[in-house]
Amino acid sequence: MNNNKEVLIKVENLKKYFLVKKGFFGKKLTYTKAVDDISFEIKKGETFGLVGESGCGKTTTGRCIVRLYDVTAGNIFFSNQDIGHMKEKRLKPLRKEFQMIFQDPYASLNSRMTVSDIIGEPIDVHQIAKGKERQEMIYELLNKVGLSKDHASRFPHEFSGGQRQRIGIARSLAVRPKFIVCDEPISALDVSIQAQVVNMLEDLQKDMGLTYLFVAHDLSMVKHISDRIGVMYLGKMVEIASSKELYKKPLHPYTQALLSAIPIPNPDITAMRNAEVLEGEVPSPINPPSGCRFRTRCKYAMERCKEEEPKFVDKDNGHLVACHLLE
Amino acid sequence: MGEKLLEVKNLKTSFFTHLGEVQAVRGISFHIDKGEAIGIVGESGSGKSVTSLSVMKLLQYPGKIVGGEILFKGKDIVNYSNNKMLKIRGNEIAMIFQDPMTSLNPVYTIGNQIMEVIIRHQKLNKKKAREKAIEMLKMVGIPSPEKRIDNYPHEFSGGMRQRAMIAIALSCEPDLLIADEPTTALDVTIQDQILKLMKELKERIDTSIILITHDLGVVADVCSRIVVMYGGLVMEEGSSRDIFFNPQHPYTMGLLKSIPRLDLEEKKRLIPIPGTPPDLLKPPIGCPFADRCPYSMKICKMKLPEFFEVDMGHKASCWLLHPESPKMKLSTGVRKEEVK
Repeated sequence: MNNNKEVLIKVENLKKYFLVKKGFFGKKLTYTKAVDDISFEIKKGETFGLVGESGCGKTTTGRCIVRLYDVTAGNIFFSNQDIGHMKEKRLKPLRKEFQMIFQDPYASLNSRMTVSDIIGEPIDVHQIAKGKERQEMIYELLNKVGLSKDHASRFPHEFSGGQRQRIGIARSLAVRPKFIVCDEPISALDVSIQAQVVNMLEDLQKDMGLTYLFVAHDLSMVKHISDRIGVMYLGKMVEIASSKELYKKPLHPYTQALLSAIPIPNPDITAMRNAEVLEGEVPSPINPPSGCRFRTRCKYAMERCKEEEPKFVDKDNGHLVACHLLE
Repeated sequence: MGEKLLEVKNLKTSFFTHLGEVQAVRGISFHIDKGEAIGIVGESGSGKSVTSLSVMKLLQYPGKIVGGEILFKGKDIVNYSNNKMLKIRGNEIAMIFQDPMTSLNPVYTIGNQIMEVIIRHQKLNKKKAREKAIEMLKMVGIPSPEKRIDNYPHEFSGGMRQRAMIAIALSCEPDLLIADEPTTALDVTIQDQILKLMKELKERIDTSIILITHDLGVVADVCSRIVVMYGGLVMEEGSSRDIFFNPQHPYTMGLLKSIPRLDLEEKKRLIPIPGTPPDLLKPPIGCPFADRCPYSMKICKMKLPEFFEVDMGHKASCWLLHPESPKMKLSTGVRKEEVK
């Protein structure tokens, strides 16, 4: 359905390695391959979900796209401009276009600034408005995220977790971005508050024509909010599909295992569920397994998986998957 | 019904802060039978963790049990001295905490920490205790336990640390295991492993489990009975099928509607519960949920509702269930027909 829409973000062979010092006095240098050669596209107006276990590189991917990290290799195109290797000076005016919402609403707001200062900061940095106009903008933003004018002069500690997350969202909207990376925006919130924030994100998307990259480990929520979903494992993308397709017909063994591990709030289903538990844990990204990275935990692993890395191929109209079994 | 292992009667726990008395738990009652697994569900601040700490008598200053009884095997442990509790804690009641990273001591080996419990409660010598510790690690599924026993916690991954915690908790084969958000810090696949392990061990050692969580999916998987808490009070109690298919309290209904459901076919907009939980420094006189409740009536804000029995073992504290209250059709969480 989104096939003919314009591509907003295009990630090509993105790599991000972190330097790790090891050995005596840190003389031995190794790399953690947090993101290792992934490619995907995000279309205008859609929500792209990114899921995987901790350490799979989903947050790193999000941070690379908004250039909070310098990329090791690969290209990132934002509206056809290569921002992956752009110098900071040229990048700054573009930074208005893409923003980020962070996971922890307690750590991501400066506790010494008032709400008005927090939301006003990006407006000042990008010199969007001044004086009275600036103040009006702040009130409007507060209103948009369901807070009131009176909240503007308060400090973050006076708010609950959900309200703080709203302030974080207002801050990211201050520069009227086109694209927002939501890095686990609801995982620190209570169940009843999560739905409030998710609904608000959906409304804002409709009103302002936003595009989201939604990074999360809560697979039920990702399914709910995303149009398309990418599944990552140990720095690699293993499957991309529309969210309906992915949950109905997961192709990669890892996706299958991941989906079957979601606890379902229905005692009848959990009783019937054939309990097939994914054994073992994610190996270290410093020294990942050869070939297919999932092979050490995969029940279908063959000799070939060890020797050759599976290619990421289109199986069915935009359903991409990297697995030898399906070739 | 089996034999009652633990019975909590009208428990009240408060924290005396400089701002005043925070009434975290305001008079709750529930029980757990031998060999049963119950879930306590609630949001942060609902008093679920304070309840478990009260049962373990691990409340720290300025927290204090201000009323009620905790009957463990028929004896009230509220007034037990610390020395007496030491014999129960770890031996008859054990606990697993949320964060396996901070609940293990980083300067002792895993083996040391398991052996500490065994030596204290079972009077085994060091060699025997070590054998037992290896056996426990094996039971919780840690590969090559003979080597791993000498590792320090930082050498274990998150999932393995939680397994080690379970090994410590179960090493004396306790009658009751309290698991406070045991899988919240873990990935789904690891969570699945840990839950499966807990279910297996429950059968093997015949331990009763109190599982405290905010994740309705997790309780549906493990527990046969559920207690829903809100604002320091029990809102509803019933078998897990009662709670999921026939919820009677608007809060339980609201919770079920606010989570996205993988088991339902079509995508629906989530229905959040508006507002925020009550401030327990000044708890409301009436029902704590009244301010957020779509069905709230005049009486809800004036008087705390009593419990109304809906069915055998299924009760809810809501004025709507009063025989004189107006009858209306509530939109409950899920009906069975909706499930594919």
